[in-house]
Amino acid sequence: MENRPLLRSTLAIYTVLFIGFLYAPFVVLGILSFQSGPEGGPQFPIIEWSTYWYRHIFGLTPPSRVAPLPIGEALVRSMTLAFATMVTSTVLGTMTAQAFRRRFKGSGFVFYLVVLGMIVPGVLVGLGIALVANTLGIPRAWWGTAFVAHVLYTFPFAFLVMLAIFNRFDKTVEEAAWSLGVPPMRTFRKVTFPLIFPGVLSSMLFAFTLSYDEFPRTLFAAGADLTLPLAIYGTFAVEIHPNIFAFGVLTTLFSFSLLAVYGFLMALSVRSAKKVAIQEEIA
Amino acid sequence: MAYDLELIGVGKVYDNGTVAVRDFDLQVEKGEFISFVGPSGCGKTTTLRMIAGFESITSGEVRIRGRRINDLPAEQRPTSTIFQNYALFPHMTVRQNIEYGLSVKGLSKADRRQKAAGIMEKLELLDVADRRHDVLSGGQRQRIALARGLAVEPDILLLDEPLGSLDANLRKSIQNELKLLQRNLGITFIFVTHAQSEALVLSDRVIVMNRGEVEQISPPYELYTRPKTRFVAQFIGRNTNIPGTLKGRDGDIAGVETGYGALRGFLNDSTLSDGDDVIAVVPSEAIDVYPLTASRDELIAQYQGNVVEGLVRTADVVGHTVFYVIELSDGREVNIESHIEKYRDAFETGAERVYVTWLPNEATVIGKG
Repeated sequence: MENRPLLRSTLAIYTVLFIGFLYAPFVVLGILSFQSGPEGGPQFPIIEWSTYWYRHIFGLTPPSRVAPLPIGEALVRSMTLAFATMVTSTVLGTMTAQAFRRRFKGSGFVFYLVVLGMIVPGVLVGLGIALVANTLGIPRAWWGTAFVAHVLYTFPFAFLVMLAIFNRFDKTVEEAAWSLGVPPMRTFRKVTFPLIFPGVLSSMLFAFTLSYDEFPRTLFAAGADLTLPLAIYGTFAVEIHPNIFAFGVLTTLFSFSLLAVYGFLMALSVRSAKKVAIQEEIA
Repeated sequence: MAYDLELIGVGKVYDNGTVAVRDFDLQVEKGEFISFVGPSGCGKTTTLRMIAGFESITSGEVRIRGRRINDLPAEQRPTSTIFQNYALFPHMTVRQNIEYGLSVKGLSKADRRQKAAGIMEKLELLDVADRRHDVLSGGQRQRIALARGLAVEPDILLLDEPLGSLDANLRKSIQNELKLLQRNLGITFIFVTHAQSEALVLSDRVIVMNRGEVEQISPPYELYTRPKTRFVAQFIGRNTNIPGTLKGRDGDIAGVETGYGALRGFLNDSTLSDGDDVIAVVPSEAIDVYPLTASRDELIAQYQGNVVEGLVRTADVVGHTVFYVIELSDGREVNIESHIEKYRDAFETGAERVYVTWLPNEATVIGKG
């Protein structure tokens, strides 16, 4: 690397461009969210810097021609849905990955069947669920049909994360526990689970964030009560105001705080993770 | 009185049809130190894992103190296993590792403490009891694993290449500790290794396995000096194997017609008869070397006919040890090493052509198998 200045500079430029593309939209939204209101529009130039639209979201501004964002309930729904999806998918993903630690008849086929859930076009899955629900006379709801759609979507991610974790897992630690007289279920709780916990955290993070901003599957499956992404999309249909941007900034900050929690929990369990790594080195 | 461990026709066939172990019979007395040796894939580890309960038993029966354990899950068997990679619980301290098995058995905290302290003292682990084990040396970690396995007081301790991850010096010292520990505790040890020297030093009896089958079960000295099969003759020690046909016997000593003339050795298989294809197994340690200036007739009288002429290919001296490679008339190479004193006559004259000789009783005649 040191002797290849051309390669180095090419990679440097590429990296800068990549990060630019990644964050530029967000930076633009972030700047525009400080547009003056209520007369300022979602475009440059900034007429005057203000926090009007942030106050607008929380209903702290005098009534104006711009209606408040209809997101309060949608936010609660999306959070609840994401949480339930996270728990369900992580539990299912961990159990499935555990099953895949041994080769069983047709395991290859079942693997592709499971992973297919993340490959099939989302809109079609949503539509399919809506059709099936209609046929069976099941009312569509964010906590019912949409929940199923979200689990279908996030479960393969959780599964793959846990599969990778188990691939690196030293099975002899479990065997050692059994040979000391620890029954398998207790071994899983007291020995296996603490060691795979970093993976469980990662798969929880995946499931939560994927569900939280899921759009195409939810579109048809959610029914009358909208989730957050649907509610936001709905406001686009009328007219776009910078309050959307302000909300975008807030929800991104929320995502960052989720990451921070993840990082913190990861750091807590990194001690044991490090020990696993050392033990693997010797193996 | 039932055996501590008994295998009756134990076999293992994997789902894909691979036969890992075939028809394994074994009786182990309480307090015996038994080693399984053999090349990788010979079935030694599979057998150990069947005893431990990590691997299902396809056929036959495993009994511990008279009780059939085929269908007992691993956690209910009176065995504990020591692994090559230690398999310590990474999220527990040394003490917690050792106490864990006891807590499952329902011992009170005070009893656990006491018991763990006792075993830690025996294995000199008290100093590190409250440390994390990932900062400790390989030797200490293997001692922790031993302490953990012994704390639950198994009837039988199963050891799967427990010294395999240690360097040579450490291996030696842990080896000695292991032997002492086993003597003191009087617990039956089943020890799997691919290193024959370990097995020969440690064991009361050694079981040599090859391709899923038992080749020989013998005490180390007997295994070393009296191989029963061709595989054992090649795997254990450093032997020269000379093919021939059986011709005549005189008590235990049999004559073998070979390309080097009529040779003699101890007949280790009474089922063999004249005309059978056999191998004369000559251990390196049994061979004496003389320069051609020695009297052939005298040597023939002294070694009862076992005199073969050869050409010295290399003669290397390392300290007090001489390493000889001697080529016989048909190109077969004889590798020997011994204290320089033993070969002084041949070595000091720098002889190129020598007589290779051995006493009949020190060679072993086995079937060609």
